[in-house]
Amino acid sequence: MAQNKLPAKADIIQGNRRAIAKAITLLESTRPESFKHGQVLLESLLPHAGKALRIGITGVPGVGKSTFIEAIGLFLIEQGHRVAVLAVDPSSQLTGGSIMGDKTRMNELAQHPDAFIRPSPSSGILGGVARKTRETMLICEAAGYDVVIVETVGVGQSETMVDSMVDLFLLLMLPNAGDELQGIKKGVLELADLVVVNKSDGKQESQAKNAQSEYSKALHLLPSSKNSWTPQILRCSALEKRGMDKIWEAAKSFRETLLISGEWEKQRRKQTGKWMWSLVEEGLLINFRNHPNLQQQISELEKAVETGNLLPTTAAIKLLKSWQTQSK
Amino acid sequence: MSKSKTKTPSSPTLKDWEKQASRELKGKATSSIHWKTTEEIEIKPLYTAEDLEKLGYTETLSGFSPFTRGPRATMYAGRPWTIRQYAGFSTAEESNSFYRKNLAAGQKGLSVAFDLATHRGYDSDHKRVVGDVGKAGVAIDSVEDMKILFDQIPLDQMSVSMTMNGAVLPILAAYVVAAEEQGVKQEQLSGTIQNDILKEFMVRNTYIYPPAASMRIVGDIIEHTSAHMPRYNSVSISGYHIQEAGATAVQELAFTLGNGLEYVRTAINRGMTIDSFAPRLSFFFGVGMNFYMEIAKLRAARFLWANLIKQFNPKKEQSAMLRTHCQTSGWSLTEQDPFNNIVRTTIEALAATLGGTQSLHTNAFDEALGLPTETSARVALNTQLILQEEAGIPHVVDPFGGSYFMESLTSSLIEEATKLLDEIEKIGGMTKAVESGIPKQRIEASAARRQALIDHGEEVIVGVNKYQVENAEPVEVREIDNSAVRKAQIQRLKKIKKNRDSNKVDTALNAISNAAENGEGNLLDLSIEAIRLRATVGEISAAMEKIWGRYNAPIHSISGVYAKSFPDQKEIKQVRDEINDFAKKAGRRPRIMVAKMGQDGHDRGAKVIATAFADLGFDVDIAPLFQTPEEVVKQAIENDVHVIGISSQAAGHKTLIKLLMEILKKENSEDIVVVAGGVIPPQDYDFLKDLGVACIFGPGTPIPGAAREVLAAIANKV
Ligand code: B12
Ligand SMILES: Nc1nc2c(ncn2[C@@H]2O[C@H](COP(=O)(O)OP(=O)(O)OP(=O)(O)O)[C@@H](O)[C@H]2O)c(=O)[nH]1
Ligand SMILES: [Mg+2]
Repeated sequence: MAQNKLPAKADIIQGNRRAIAKAITLLESTRPESFKHGQVLLESLLPHAGKALRIGITGVPGVGKSTFIEAIGLFLIEQGHRVAVLAVDPSSQLTGGSIMGDKTRMNELAQHPDAFIRPSPSSGILGGVARKTRETMLICEAAGYDVVIVETVGVGQSETMVDSMVDLFLLLMLPNAGDELQGIKKGVLELADLVVVNKSDGKQESQAKNAQSEYSKALHLLPSSKNSWTPQILRCSALEKRGMDKIWEAAKSFRETLLISGEWEKQRRKQTGKWMWSLVEEGLLINFRNHPNLQQQISELEKAVETGNLLPTTAAIKLLKSWQTQSK
Repeated sequence: MSKSKTKTPSSPTLKDWEKQASRELKGKATSSIHWKTTEEIEIKPLYTAEDLEKLGYTETLSGFSPFTRGPRATMYAGRPWTIRQYAGFSTAEESNSFYRKNLAAGQKGLSVAFDLATHRGYDSDHKRVVGDVGKAGVAIDSVEDMKILFDQIPLDQMSVSMTMNGAVLPILAAYVVAAEEQGVKQEQLSGTIQNDILKEFMVRNTYIYPPAASMRIVGDIIEHTSAHMPRYNSVSISGYHIQEAGATAVQELAFTLGNGLEYVRTAINRGMTIDSFAPRLSFFFGVGMNFYMEIAKLRAARFLWANLIKQFNPKKEQSAMLRTHCQTSGWSLTEQDPFNNIVRTTIEALAATLGGTQSLHTNAFDEALGLPTETSARVALNTQLILQEEAGIPHVVDPFGGSYFMESLTSSLIEEATKLLDEIEKIGGMTKAVESGIPKQRIEASAARRQALIDHGEEVIVGVNKYQVENAEPVEVREIDNSAVRKAQIQRLKKIKKNRDSNKVDTALNAISNAAENGEGNLLDLSIEAIRLRATVGEISAAMEKIWGRYNAPIHSISGVYAKSFPDQKEIKQVRDEINDFAKKAGRRPRIMVAKMGQDGHDRGAKVIATAFADLGFDVDIAPLFQTPEEVVKQAIENDVHVIGISSQAAGHKTLIKLLMEILKKENSEDIVVVAGGVIPPQDYDFLKDLGVACIFGPGTPIPGAAREVLAAIANKV
């Protein structure tokens, strides 16, 4: 019962909500001991994971990502699926704390017994968002969630991070086409497997239709991220929960196409490689930052750099050198 | 300027005054004693005729546009303001007897406070309202309850104000039918329905349907009342709640008048002429402790409205005339040393009347503890009677009119509110602005700033952060047995449902659903019909919910404002260090879920706690509003929080926290710490502690200290 008790593999596989949640906490933990327990647990669960469709959802703030997840999540549950949602919330650089209000935008889904929603602060004491999200996804899969949705903060760096862990990358767009194309980086558009124009309702519906044809044209000019799949442009109203069936049809046909072409497996294997590398990167960073013999030098040099007495390049070289000698 | 103002050579000039003042200030410039209000309006220590000249001030008269000096020529000299105390609790029987006592004691108009189940369109037997029935207002499920509520109160003579927004259709309908069955016709009814849905989405949180559908309802009501109820105010455009949620006077003015404009446009878009409804729009403002500012605010509001309405080319003077009700600020009242509140309320009431309100509610001194007792209600009522009958206030119209300072301040407020109004118009009006969440975020930022200043001691609240007393004498608190009320209500519901013609009721309810779906017909007309047939408040609400769904206003959060507003960062840093230590040891930051249960929509406390805790270094989950204990537990488990922080203001705490603890136990999750805060009277602390609640934080709690206590409670369990 204690907060410290380790979650059991069997409980997770049976879908015990509390055990799943505790396991995720272990994976997110910055305590070496908990981290280790987490990794052991994860390894034991890996054979049970991997069967879900992993969907990444992105779009500019306010485009309706959370509302969309509520709509599609409820739709999927109605179809008999079990849905896990992972949302990464930005933490304040200054205080490290964060406010996570994701569940307020997915009220009905949050209450549903077949849904599991876990917002995570992006901070942690050391980075590693990507690893944590990926591993959390695997825990949810092992627990029997067959659709896992990852919502990212906005449009930018995090997209490539998410793309490196999901099967299907869905980009939500606003109906007012002109401004939008500029707001979204070309790189992000290239990653998208499905582009969905949201808020196709009320007065905005005709605008949304225009946007849909605009994007269709624009997208043809871009290279697609998959060989066997041409990105589709769809429309929906997340608010009125319309258009979910078509989107789900497209997602299923995406999966089928990629499975047949073999790209599905290929992508997943490539992602596993990236996962290994992100573990290596994080491990190195943790080792470096926490190295007992480096602590003093780090804080001294950091101060020197911040006060302008030392060039950052010089300081970095010095630190890396000491680290190399220390780890010999 | 008149001749008498020309100065003789010997009379001192403003320069002379500067010199003398600077001497008194030991050489400092007078600008060092300028006062910057929370509105960022700078106030000088001395105003002169020069200030008025600069403004190009021209004199106006009460009773004439732009009505800055008052809507009526004689104001209180002709007839004092209406004393209208807002009240309601428990059953219709209990509230009725409370009303009749107050009327006998000198109150002049009624103002009904409904319970939160009713506000949100649930009958008392609904599973989501077990903690809410009869608690923070009176429970009304049907016209039978409404008839009891007004028993022996002649509705052709009594003006009745009803604070109802979400379930406005069935409630207004029930009032109309209760009158009808008393033998009173609609055209005889006088009073006000709040019917101001936009501010619900922003600050008051008793909405039911999405914004567009809700605006349709507002329109239907304006249409019906302007055709059939000539003496009845169809909307009470409310700034009070906006202020109480944390807004500055400028924000309150701009958002309220902006909302007003939206209602005007709604009616005009339906083809109504401005003069057919605008004279029946009324206003409602809050009056807090910033004495001069509040007087100026009411004057500025009248001026602004008169000018805003011009664009619609009214022919009637009354169309542009702002008439308002006011309420003293509940937020300014403290749990600590509660008798101080009588003084605060008196000052606020004075400001409201000097500002020229048409009617007034004065709060009771036990405001921060619970609903008023008979004693505290009597003192509140007497406060107004004393102002009217002993202090001689009513004899003069707008006594501050022409004051160098007051006219300057009024003009500053007009200027600042206009800027904000322009900003809103650029977004496309208040409906759009509300959807974007911007006004709410601005208000929350003001609230967070205010909280920081109080927690730091910069803003003094006597008895709270300065001049505290150790053992203030405890005061009696009204307690309502909600399970008894609920039982009685359910009984009556059963009886009604048995005795009515259910086929007819179904037909009437279907007609409402159809009208909601196809946009045709007047929903108030249809609701009146359904109510006559004994359809219930919950059934009528559900008939529309079926079509429109139940809306959840998106919750936005702010961050950084609280910590930044602390003039001195020392205390903040201390807490952050403690939290960082914890995070190092525990492997993650302390994680709290701030949650509200039941239909209690007071979110100022929860939001300020959430943003401040995050600023201090907590990871904070905000749960959606209106959760059941089961839902809170599910989310807390999923997010694996260390602690659930329940914020409770509407007296559901005993019922709902008890359920919460039981469910935590059932879910094998007692390791999650539970803390609670809000309006929890001290006599309930033991009850909650016995249930296992780790800490309880009442009104006036400084947040950094609370954060440390919560941290310690977690550390204890980890
Ligand atoms: C502001 C206010 C409002 C505003 C709310 C605006 C908003 N968005 O929140 C408005 C005007 C809209 C409003 C409306 C109503 N109100 Co009101 N309201 C108040 C008032 C005056 C202040 C509450 C407040 O926000 N204080 C400021 C915040 C910062 O303080 P706080 O909530 O106490 O939080 C502090 C501590 O308690 C603690 N804390 C609180 N929660 C938590 C949680 C955690 C985790 C921690 C660590 C600490 C903590 O820390 C905070 C910082 O110090 C109180 C009376 C009072 N003075 O307390 C009445 C009061 C709560 N309201 C009351 C009522 C009845 C209503 C209505 C139901 C009336 C009606 N029938 O229509 C409506 C409906 C509201 C609804 N939807 O639920 C009653 C409740 C009666 C009771 N408990 O028995 C009260 C007590 C007034 C009274 N005596 O009649 N209200
Ligand atoms: N009209 C309309 N509004 C929508 C739709 N989907 C979302 N919205 C509204 O758009 C606003 C933002 O929605 P969110 O779901 O919070 O958007 P988000 O992309 O998750 O936002 P962030 O998490 O802040 O990045 C809310 O007010 C929603 O009600 C839609 O389909 N139609
Ligand atoms: Mg979102």
